[in-house]
Amino acid sequence: MIEEIKEHVKRLLDEGTISGFLGLKDQHGTIVPHLYKTSDDLDDGFSIGATEGGAPARYPMASLIMTIATTYENGKVGVLLRGCDERALNELLRWNQIPEAADRIVRVGFACKKELAEAHECRKPFPDECIAGEKTEPVSNASLKELESMDVTGRLNYWLREFDRCIKCYGCRDVCPVCFCNVCTLEEDSLIRTGDLPPENPMFHLTRAVHMAGRCIDCNLCTEVCPAEIPLRTLYKKVAEIVNHG
Amino acid sequence: MKKFLDYAGIDEERLVLKWVSSAEGPRFAQVVTDFVEKIRKLGPSPLRARPVKEEAG
Repeated sequence: MIEEIKEHVKRLLDEGTISGFLGLKDQHGTIVPHLYKTSDDLDDGFSIGATEGGAPARYPMASLIMTIATTYENGKVGVLLRGCDERALNELLRWNQIPEAADRIVRVGFACKKELAEAHECRKPFPDECIAGEKTEPVSNASLKELESMDVTGRLNYWLREFDRCIKCYGCRDVCPVCFCNVCTLEEDSLIRTGDLPPENPMFHLTRAVHMAGRCIDCNLCTEVCPAEIPLRTLYKKVAEIVNHG
Repeated sequence: MKKFLDYAGIDEERLVLKWVSSAEGPRFAQVVTDFVEKIRKLGPSPLRARPVKEEAG
């Protein structure tokens, strides 16, 4: 799969269709985002990141390419996209966050393996157009049902127990591909008191959840990066469900 | 919003959303009075039971 993508990107770079490509790179065993400029560069550690779950090697490619595309002045730029990355990119376009640079982005999509899709309960583990990989079935999730079966006090206790582990690292917000506000409510002292650990709960997390309404693309990055393992996505999933289905 | 509160473990009865025109003063007073009564009956919020941190300094 990785070779197919590499060949495709090399062709795009050699033909001059794109002048840069945002992919991932294996740097001494650590996977990091990297902007490739020539096809020769791709021979040095090109990676597509996580393939089977476990090692958290995914990045918010959509927000990275948004930053690059708006400042890049050298023609078109390609980007490596999974199904979730594509949903995020579409969401950023929908919110008009990439107004002038939208047509400068060339998508290079690939389908995730079944193992990874299952690990993240992915609702669409492939972008619309795939260069490589086989499209696998969407995975439904059971996490919501379990919570819905509790009574209201049980749910409150459950969330408070989860939220109170929060070390307020803002990792969930920082990694979020669709968090793009310049000023963040979570850092506004008059709304949520700053400087407290754990943060003012449940307000801190419920505020973020409400802000995710209609935006969350269910990529699971927030839950994956959370050092306290708070099941944030289960919370945002419900918000999305209410917004979409009432 | 009510569904969300319920999911977060907060009694949805604690939230009221009503449309009142600026010309409907008496209705506004009634809505607020009714809600205050309802909240009194429900008692303190379960979140009040949590220890409140002292202000720093």
